[in-house]
Amino acid sequence: MTAATDRELVASAASGDAAAFTRLIDRHYERIYRMAWRWLGRREEAEDVTQDVCVKIAHAIRGFRADAEFATWAYRIAFNTATDALRARQRTVPTDPSEVMGLIDGPGQPSPEDDIMGAELWAEVRALPAQQRDAVLLVYGEDMNHAEAAEVMGCTEKTVSWHLHAARKALRVRLEAVG
Amino acid sequence: MTDRDLSSLKDLPVPAPRAEARKTALDAATQAFVGSTAGDAGEPQGNVVPLRPIRATNEPEGRRPMRIRSAFAIAASLAGLAIAVPAALHVLGQARMQPLSGIDTDRIAEQRPLAAARSAPIGQPGVPGLALPAPSPAAPVAIAAAPAAPPAAVRPAPTVRQGGPATAAVESGPRKRPAEDGRAALGGSSLNEKSKQVAGAPGTALAERDRLSRTELEAALVGATVSARVRPASADEAARRVGIQKEIVALDAQVRRPDAESRDRFASAEPYPFRMVAQEPVSTFSVDVDTASYSLVRRWLNAGRLPPREAVRVEEMINYFGYDYARPESAGAPFRPAITVLATPWNAESRLVHIALKGYELRAAERPRANLVLLIDVSGSMGPQDRLPLLKRAFAMLVNELKPDDTVAIVSYASDTATRLASTRVAEKSRILDEIDALQAGGGTYGEGGLQRAYALAEAGFDKAAVNRVILATDGDFNIGISDRAELQRYIEGKRRTGIYLSVLGVGMGNHNDRLMQALAQNGNGVAAYIDTLNEARKVLVEEASQSLFPIAKDVKIQIEFNPAEVSAYRLIGYETRALRREDFNDDKVDAGDVGSGHAVTAIYEVMPRGAEAKLVDGLRYQPVAKPALVEPAAKVAPGAERELAFLELRYKLPGEDASRLVSLPVTVPRANTAVQEAPADVRFSIAVAAFGQLLKGSPHLGTYAFDDVIALANGAKGEDAFGLRAEFVNLVRMAKSARR
Repeated sequence: MTAATDRELVASAASGDAAAFTRLIDRHYERIYRMAWRWLGRREEAEDVTQDVCVKIAHAIRGFRADAEFATWAYRIAFNTATDALRARQRTVPTDPSEVMGLIDGPGQPSPEDDIMGAELWAEVRALPAQQRDAVLLVYGEDMNHAEAAEVMGCTEKTVSWHLHAARKALRVRLEAVG
Repeated sequence: MTDRDLSSLKDLPVPAPRAEARKTALDAATQAFVGSTAGDAGEPQGNVVPLRPIRATNEPEGRRPMRIRSAFAIAASLAGLAIAVPAALHVLGQARMQPLSGIDTDRIAEQRPLAAARSAPIGQPGVPGLALPAPSPAAPVAIAAAPAAPPAAVRPAPTVRQGGPATAAVESGPRKRPAEDGRAALGGSSLNEKSKQVAGAPGTALAERDRLSRTELEAALVGATVSARVRPASADEAARRVGIQKEIVALDAQVRRPDAESRDRFASAEPYPFRMVAQEPVSTFSVDVDTASYSLVRRWLNAGRLPPREAVRVEEMINYFGYDYARPESAGAPFRPAITVLATPWNAESRLVHIALKGYELRAAERPRANLVLLIDVSGSMGPQDRLPLLKRAFAMLVNELKPDDTVAIVSYASDTATRLASTRVAEKSRILDEIDALQAGGGTYGEGGLQRAYALAEAGFDKAAVNRVILATDGDFNIGISDRAELQRYIEGKRRTGIYLSVLGVGMGNHNDRLMQALAQNGNGVAAYIDTLNEARKVLVEEASQSLFPIAKDVKIQIEFNPAEVSAYRLIGYETRALRREDFNDDKVDAGDVGSGHAVTAIYEVMPRGAEAKLVDGLRYQPVAKPALVEPAAKVAPGAERELAFLELRYKLPGEDASRLVSLPVTVPRANTAVQEAPADVRFSIAVAAFGQLLKGSPHLGTYAFDDVIALANGAKGEDAFGLRAEFVNLVRMAKSARR
């Protein structure tokens, strides 16, 4: 049995074929999850976000006109959901006085992010300003070209390049003082 | 370099999602899909292109389409005003005074808590650099305002049970593993205590209890496995297995804890319970002059948190402080134990036996030459100010303390291992300082053979008359060429036999591998110290340089036998990871702690005098009761002589000797019951520290004794306190009062 293309699956799903939709989501789950994890750095949050993305796709797929790639479209939903989750996380910084001391204590604080190879690099990237972080993760993490990244971020290609430049500069200072 | 780092992002592993999460997501999506079939097919929830009318990322305020909405808002409020103003005028006109004042006070009352809440965080010290080393007085005050559950409430009732079968089982366990033995021996009893603690804390979640009991069960099982292996030939093998199993158990526990905030790993064991003198009249342990636990505890408390129980090692907290005990006269007899028996501040029934040792202090001229190799972690994680930069300043201070004859070599490890400086005499100080100054953090920790390289350098400059030592400084990346922990320990132990010792300096937090540090330093005849501030670095590397670098005695063991005619039960405070078996005391092959020049070591026993009303442990039904008249004392005590409470024996080896020497002296029952207040200041202070450590550890033996009592006791015993360490301690206790776990 030959695998149906995304386009065919989307078409079947849009006409109400639940099985086709499930196959489509199953096929893309891994990629969406990996993307979510790259932004969030915590497995459980990434799983939650991925589930949200899947549900959003379920609601929206009938309106998807197939004039774009399904993957790109799903990416955009995942990107927005992940950045929303990140912003929600920033809003819920605990304000207990002892926690405030912890924040003051600074970089020595234990990091709650997943402990995995390259954890330091991830932490540095995630500490960048939001747009620089998005640009770096899209271009380097998701291996997109600048035009694709610009489309996902909703800005021009030039802006992406500029953000990348700023991010590299900031990272160079922090990551390698070796020269 | 950055480009390479960045382009590696897409290849870096991502933790795999759980299968059930994936299934849930798929189910939810399918359900949503099916559910949405009916009505909303025509109106998509998401837009196709562009997905959002505004950017997801933050946009400058002025460019948001908010203005339009604000116009509506203004219109709405104008309309509101048009209605409200005449209405309000009408109401006010009807009743002038009362309603007006009523409204006013209400509003003020509402605003007050808000204002208070707002001012609280502002009251915090805002400068991180200041807040770290010595918290300004504002800090405790601000924290005290936070509602914190009193830690005393969680402590279970002070009931204790004897170790039971597990203790006996481990008697035949492997040798040369004091820490492991102690842990396993306590497996049985800690199971009891832990479950009591859980029962005593109604708020504790069920999951927590499961976790605890499972870990403890596993620990007990490990103890049982050990006991099954009786043949001494297989003991080493068994020890290794136990080590690995324990690692698994510990890792397992960490993984299972969902809120594991910290990756720090600690070496610890449950506090000792009271033991019956009738059953175990002899207590044996190795001395410990490490101080890492105190610095860690301070770090946690400064951050407003109570340290995890397992991070607290009471003996290390006590031994952190210098005590001015009676000094021995010559290096030939390097110890003079001083024993004080006094009333227990937290228990009216029991007594404390306070054993103080002061090591002989070498004068600078007597110091042997030092051959040091600094093995320094320069991986990327060492970048923050409290890591490599701190170490660089600390080592510079150390070099300034050394004599011109001493030699220093430097090896760094990160992505690769580099010999930065071959053995160089301190006479060429500037070369050493330049090299230290040039160290930079960066790269990963995959350095191969860093340890071997350091030892090779130490061997190259080996001098039988000198102190040959490798000093490993790291934030927890022990990836130094040998990854298997047991093998690493054996390697260091082997090098120790050839005369090269190892000390470990820990910095930073979050990744700090305290347990391994401890084990390595113990195996390498060295000190494990944790450095968090420059002041601490000065203390460890300069003030105590002679202590850490120049041992005056090695393998120092203490054995104390209690007289059943005077004492019914005893417990040792701290030293849980340093327990030795009774027969290890006379076995010169068994490794134990070292004491450096001028080190002070304090050990405190809490003893129940015979006849004390509180029965901590029930007597045995089938064993003969050890009544004073029935016991035939082996020692002939001359009539009329002072009654003996216990007999203290101390074994040590002089550096370079293989046969141990013995010091022994009886502990006599004091004529009058000395109150704490009558004891010397140093004794009082060490008891205050002991009480604090036990409170932090959640010891069940302290009754109603609380942080305030510790403050009162310590405040009166600060003594000279030239560096303010004791004042800092009192401050820490104050912070602990309001810290939360």
